[in-house]
Amino acid sequence: MAMRELVTGGAACAVPGSSSSSNPLGALANALIGSSSQKERLQEIPTSALNTSGNNFYSEEENPCRSSWHGGSEFVSGFHAANDNRLAEVWDGIQNPQIPHFPGREGPPQRVLSSFLHSFVNSSHGGVPFGPTQLPVLGLSEGDKRCIRDRSSIMARHIFADKSEDFINGQVNALLSSLEIDNHALARGHISGRHSELEQYWNEPQLLTPGPHTGDGWADEFAQRRVGQQDPNAWALSFERQHGAGGWASEFEHEQAQMTSVDRMAGANIPSLAAMQQTRMLAHTLAQNSNPKFQNSKFLQFVSKMSRGELTIEDNQVKPSLAGSGDWANEYQQQYNAGPSSWADQGPDRWANEFATERAHHGPVDEQWVNEFSKLQVNDWADEFGRQVGEGVLGDDSADNWASAYDEYLNEQAIVKQKSETSRGVYVFSDLNPYVGHPDPLREGQELFRKGLLSEAVLALEAEVLKNPENAEGWRLLGVAHAENDDDQQAIASMMRAQEADPTNLEVLLALGVSHTNELEQQAALKYLYSWLRHHPQYGKIAPPELSDSLYYADVARTFNEAAQLSPEDADVHIVLGVLYNLSREYDKAIESFQTALKLKPRDYSLWNKLGATQANSVQSADAIYAYQQALDLKPNYVRAWANMGISYANQGMYEDSIRYYVRALAMNPKADNAWQYLRISLSCASRNDMMEACDSRNLDVLQKEFPVWQEKL
Amino acid sequence: MASSDLKSAALMDQMKAHFSTDAGKAIAEKIGLVYQINIAPKKIGFNEEIYVVDLKKAEVTKGPYEGGKPDATFSFTDADFLKIATGKMNPQFAFMRGAMKVKGSLSAAQKFTPDIFPKPSKL
Repeated sequence: MAMRELVTGGAACAVPGSSSSSNPLGALANALIGSSSQKERLQEIPTSALNTSGNNFYSEEENPCRSSWHGGSEFVSGFHAANDNRLAEVWDGIQNPQIPHFPGREGPPQRVLSSFLHSFVNSSHGGVPFGPTQLPVLGLSEGDKRCIRDRSSIMARHIFADKSEDFINGQVNALLSSLEIDNHALARGHISGRHSELEQYWNEPQLLTPGPHTGDGWADEFAQRRVGQQDPNAWALSFERQHGAGGWASEFEHEQAQMTSVDRMAGANIPSLAAMQQTRMLAHTLAQNSNPKFQNSKFLQFVSKMSRGELTIEDNQVKPSLAGSGDWANEYQQQYNAGPSSWADQGPDRWANEFATERAHHGPVDEQWVNEFSKLQVNDWADEFGRQVGEGVLGDDSADNWASAYDEYLNEQAIVKQKSETSRGVYVFSDLNPYVGHPDPLREGQELFRKGLLSEAVLALEAEVLKNPENAEGWRLLGVAHAENDDDQQAIASMMRAQEADPTNLEVLLALGVSHTNELEQQAALKYLYSWLRHHPQYGKIAPPELSDSLYYADVARTFNEAAQLSPEDADVHIVLGVLYNLSREYDKAIESFQTALKLKPRDYSLWNKLGATQANSVQSADAIYAYQQALDLKPNYVRAWANMGISYANQGMYEDSIRYYVRALAMNPKADNAWQYLRISLSCASRNDMMEACDSRNLDVLQKEFPVWQEKL
Repeated sequence: MASSDLKSAALMDQMKAHFSTDAGKAIAEKIGLVYQINIAPKKIGFNEEIYVVDLKKAEVTKGPYEGGKPDATFSFTDADFLKIATGKMNPQFAFMRGAMKVKGSLSAAQKFTPDIFPKPSKL
């Protein structure tokens, strides 16, 4: 939602003067409610947290611009006090948008609605009743209305947790009447248990006699609620289904997309958050079992406590969490840095054991609950999502965006938007480009490329293709620069544009073949490589056109071999053959082809790199390093060769060395995502968890200082 | 063309070769577990190709495990498996999202990390 809209009090805004923080809060609430789906939990959140958050909203209200936003950490610790690290994480994640976003004030209904809902959320801090407002006609469907009604009822109990039930009902009614939603008419029938599978499973093997129904209040309460009309899971899902694109979920995604650096706290808390979320789902599922004995079991109590964050797992020891202590975040940070990053050490196998023990007391010991549970989750998450995408409910683009954004979020990726777009072959331009307006950006780009300043060259060439979108050479060189910068997605996107402008350019076709080979996309690679042959002035005649309709690797390889025999002195045909053999993983033949080509073109640095990569992939790492060295002697700023060097050291188990090379590559191109991921793995393998934080926050200064490349190694 | 259309097959091949190196053997020794990995082209459970990554014997074979029960069995889609093996996706999150299905011992499953896979180099 537009910050401006809120700050200036846009037409749809019932509470003028509130701030962009509503946006994260909405997303946050969405994230919280959307997955935990437990009204009970929300009510448990101590009011102190809400008061704290309220205060911080005020402080931002006075200074709506981002630079003055110091309340963040206070806000976060407020949530920490509430002992719900999930909230904090989500907050941290979305609190970081680097580029302020100002969409127009006049929005489509979705935007108006979302703005309105946010103002509802914001009304919590003043304690002022939320008055009905005149809204434009939004055209909400019955389903939309149901979702909003269900959701707002739950939301209200969360955000007004310190208020009376009457007050809450008043607020909700005000909201609903503004939206012309009838609070009663839409009541729906009970939705059959989504977890029947597991219930069934539990009922079968647990041959237990029903006992007195005392024990865990949480579970009981939950079970009772469940009998009622509102199945929280159902509305959460249906809301996602209907509002995934335009509602809070997409706001959340949008904010994510704008993150350019990942908050370190968010990263640090992930293992424990994960355990908490996992247990939360587990608790939810288990709570639906009606067997009273099970309801009283220690395991369920344990899981419930875990899911509420009352217990945490530290080095495989279950500990009560430090409720009320502001330091817990640091503690997590330390814990996260201290132990290896692998989830093995942080994972919840303690509860697995505990559970096994518990089961041993009650009935047949069967570890299979893990299986059942994972099956259940597949049903819940993947299938549901897959089905929705299949039905096109979300619309193609939004579904993609949603999926990739969520993906990236989980992976602490910064450039979400870029990713999701490049994966579809769309070129993503840099935001700030000093070369726009340059009189001859192509020439400038060529010059920069020649000097080996790849990232600069990329900018100049982007300026060129913005100016002349049909310039095949601009696009081609841009593609080459990206490939050398170790970014195949962008390389493919540029080369596809180059090919549109000039469909028969041989260099472009070969480059596309190579990039798709790197991405392991065999069919696409084969298509371009054969196209290369078809359009070659000399070999075109031996390439039967009908073959391009149904490409079989063997036919293509045979034709290329004919071409090589036709003119054994043409380095290019050997290069293509080498790529082709990489595709079929006949590495010995590929190495031979590249070596033949190198005899003809000994100063082709990209050819040395191809030879090295092939040798590396066929586990001849020592040879590979020699080849990469040749490439780097010819082109010192060849990022791909630096990154490949790192890979070869890592694959030989020389992690410290690999780290130096990754860092070197990243210093030249901080956008090389692969290298960041590999760096993280090497840091973990080298037990350098002390540097993990620098890696996650992409702090190259720290990394370069810690891991200089020794000069004598060059 | 290689016998499989899966992208993951390339990585499995590389891993197979990797186990012939000292570094590969060291990893196998460290983990010492048997993983069966079911990889589906598009949707988990459909048209799966089955690989066994045996970190006891340091070998990769195609087809279901024949030496008894694997310590853990995973199911992925082709794309997700690659993401996990190359560190793009955290296995834990993959599990929670349902992008990774696990059977068998949870503690064995937790040792399944990107650290055990060799990294592909780029041409």
